[in-house]
Amino acid sequence: MDNIEQLVETLSKDVQPVKPAPHPYLLSLQWIGAAALYLIVTLALTGLRPDWRESFVEPWFIAEIVTLLALFIVSALGTALLAFPDLHQKRLLAFAPLVPAILFVAVILSAALADIPPAPLPEHSIECTCSILLTMLLPALWTFYSLRRYASTHYRLAGSIALLSAFSVGALWLRLHEVNDSIAHVVEWHYLPMLGVGLLGLWVGKLLLKW
Amino acid sequence: MTDRDDNLESLMRQSLAGDQRAYAELLRATARLLKPFLSRRLRFSNEVDDLLQEILLSIHKARHTYDGQRPYKPWVYAIAKFRLLDHLRAHYADQLRTAEDYDELEEILPDDVTETALSYESISAEVEKLPEKQATILRLMHHDGYTAKEVAAKMGMNESAVKVAAHRAYKILRERLER
Repeated sequence: MDNIEQLVETLSKDVQPVKPAPHPYLLSLQWIGAAALYLIVTLALTGLRPDWRESFVEPWFIAEIVTLLALFIVSALGTALLAFPDLHQKRLLAFAPLVPAILFVAVILSAALADIPPAPLPEHSIECTCSILLTMLLPALWTFYSLRRYASTHYRLAGSIALLSAFSVGALWLRLHEVNDSIAHVVEWHYLPMLGVGLLGLWVGKLLLKW
Repeated sequence: MTDRDDNLESLMRQSLAGDQRAYAELLRATARLLKPFLSRRLRFSNEVDDLLQEILLSIHKARHTYDGQRPYKPWVYAIAKFRLLDHLRAHYADQLRTAEDYDELEEILPDDVTETALSYESISAEVEKLPEKQATILRLMHHDGYTAKEVAAKMGMNESAVKVAAHRAYKILRERLER
């Protein structure tokens, strides 16, 4: 125990008053607020889809936007909880992003089944994925920069959920900006890449959040 | 919650406020708390001590993530478990690497890895052409008469690494001498 005693002496000698990290609710609120502001500014610069009045009376479109919004908010909260070693002792809440994710998949599947006859496919394809990825960069960078100041013991999962949250911001922006009713296109080029980004987050989390 | 648990939380609150004495007391109490937890999961006491030090450093680094409002033990055990898993992962990855090296060794098990039919003097010129570490190991083992264990201690390596390095050196020497 001599080494331990020596270490205790060294650490305690250097100890300074420390400002505790903000509560994860507050932390997630900061991220959500900043991302919402970013989304509003981006939409103001690029423009809201011209047919938004008609779109917002479509029940499946409203359900899609609401669940996507829920996924963004709950995954931001999950990321904030995962930033703490003990998940701030709210383990269930940390895994709550699963709920909006399942709801979101259910809504998209239902919208796809209800798309009869199918809406025409837009001419573009991968441009949508690229636009979402570009839009999510800033919220993702900010979240990871912020996460690195904490001590996640679930760094892979934190990375994955943080990227999902950032991707949701990009996906929300594109759905509110682009005139497009084709659910097949949306699934293929907007939401399937989301899975890839989630998996990429596992690796990015290990790379950037390991401490 | 017991008084002892309350005490840990109160010590942590004081530590966050910069109280050195409380912090030292908290780290000692944490070490006492975690030692049996680690001893049950690790085989060697030096491993336990090393990991315990690493955990205390992690606690120090992450202390801002504890606000003094929630129980201390789940927070500290989360860090301890995290470091323990990291340690075990590294340990088993290392064992896997060593196991691969032993596989190579098995290929030449009929050959003796510590003795050769040739005298060291007759091949010393070839030995000196080997990479420095391998040459030193062979010199120590065959010229100076040290065992692999003694060479390991002398060179700050572990015994299996010395044997593997010797084995690789024998392979190179055999190829060169057979030419």
